[in-house]
Amino acid sequence: MRAPQSIKQEFLKKWILGLQLCDFAKQNMSMLERKKAIKLSADIAIASTRNGMTCWSRALVAKASRDYGDKVLVERMLASESEKLKKVSSIGLIAPNKWVIIRSKKILRKSRRARRVRSSVPQSVLAKSIAKKMVKKRTQVLKSLVPGGEFMDDISLIEETLDYIISLRAQVDVMQTLAKATDLLNERAKVQAQVGHLALAAESTASPTARLISDPSEAFFKQTRESPQVTRHQGHRSSS
Amino acid sequence: MSSRRSRQSSGVPRITDDQIIELVSKLRQLLPEIRDRRSDKVSASKVLQETCNYIRSLHREVDDLSERLSQLLATIDADSPEAAIIRSLIM
Repeated sequence: MRAPQSIKQEFLKKWILGLQLCDFAKQNMSMLERKKAIKLSADIAIASTRNGMTCWSRALVAKASRDYGDKVLVERMLASESEKLKKVSSIGLIAPNKWVIIRSKKILRKSRRARRVRSSVPQSVLAKSIAKKMVKKRTQVLKSLVPGGEFMDDISLIEETLDYIISLRAQVDVMQTLAKATDLLNERAKVQAQVGHLALAAESTASPTARLISDPSEAFFKQTRESPQVTRHQGHRSSS
Repeated sequence: MSSRRSRQSSGVPRITDDQIIELVSKLRQLLPEIRDRRSDKVSASKVLQETCNYIRSLHREVDDLSERLSQLLATIDADSPEAAIIRSLIM
């Protein structure tokens, strides 16, 4: 199994490159457009850590390419990736004629179910069949949550799910750290600005900000080290 | 295609018990909720449900974080040295 730390590092690198391609500084984007671009680059970055080896990662790239308006940007983000991923984004995950086959299978399944005759069954058998139905139902939900899930058989679904969850966790952890760091830097900037105003008012000639920050990158890493530990399971609630 | 009424799926293998056990032991490290239950008797449907809930919550977090970062990038005070750090990093 891949080490979480190496997933995070690879994701961070690719995500940062993707964010730089979005060109936030120059364009006048709305908050929603910026958010979509951030999410796009995050999804492509986490998918590319798998290098097209898992179904979910290919499906995620296909979905991101499909949903995002600026196809040129998507292409640029995938420029350094493997041929597999590039193909997925342009062709899509499944060829059109396969859709027809899948849909007709679903219709056949539904009609089979309708023809089944109800008869009196012993309690234990009934309980087992209810349990099976629950598993089937929940499996369907899981298939809708994992990218590309609807194309997987039950066995692959479990393996893909495990890999997908691990990758999602890494993605969330890194995004939280960056958000926290940016937040801290913003806060610090505000404080420095206030200190600066006060000092000026008190007739000091040297700029306090210049004194406090000699090396900007040193400040960045100092901040992230000193920040309180990001909670891993925040936002995770179970409902029974 | 033969019409076998006893066969309800389209012919793909169903999830077996062994695979459920494997999934549980791996998910147990990821989901604290299941850790404290009786070890061998967690129902398949419960595991699947917890998994789905967890994936949904992770999706929500990614969405919220994207939104938060979008706001943060908008409010960077342009001239500060901190903005220069952020700019050099992601802009």
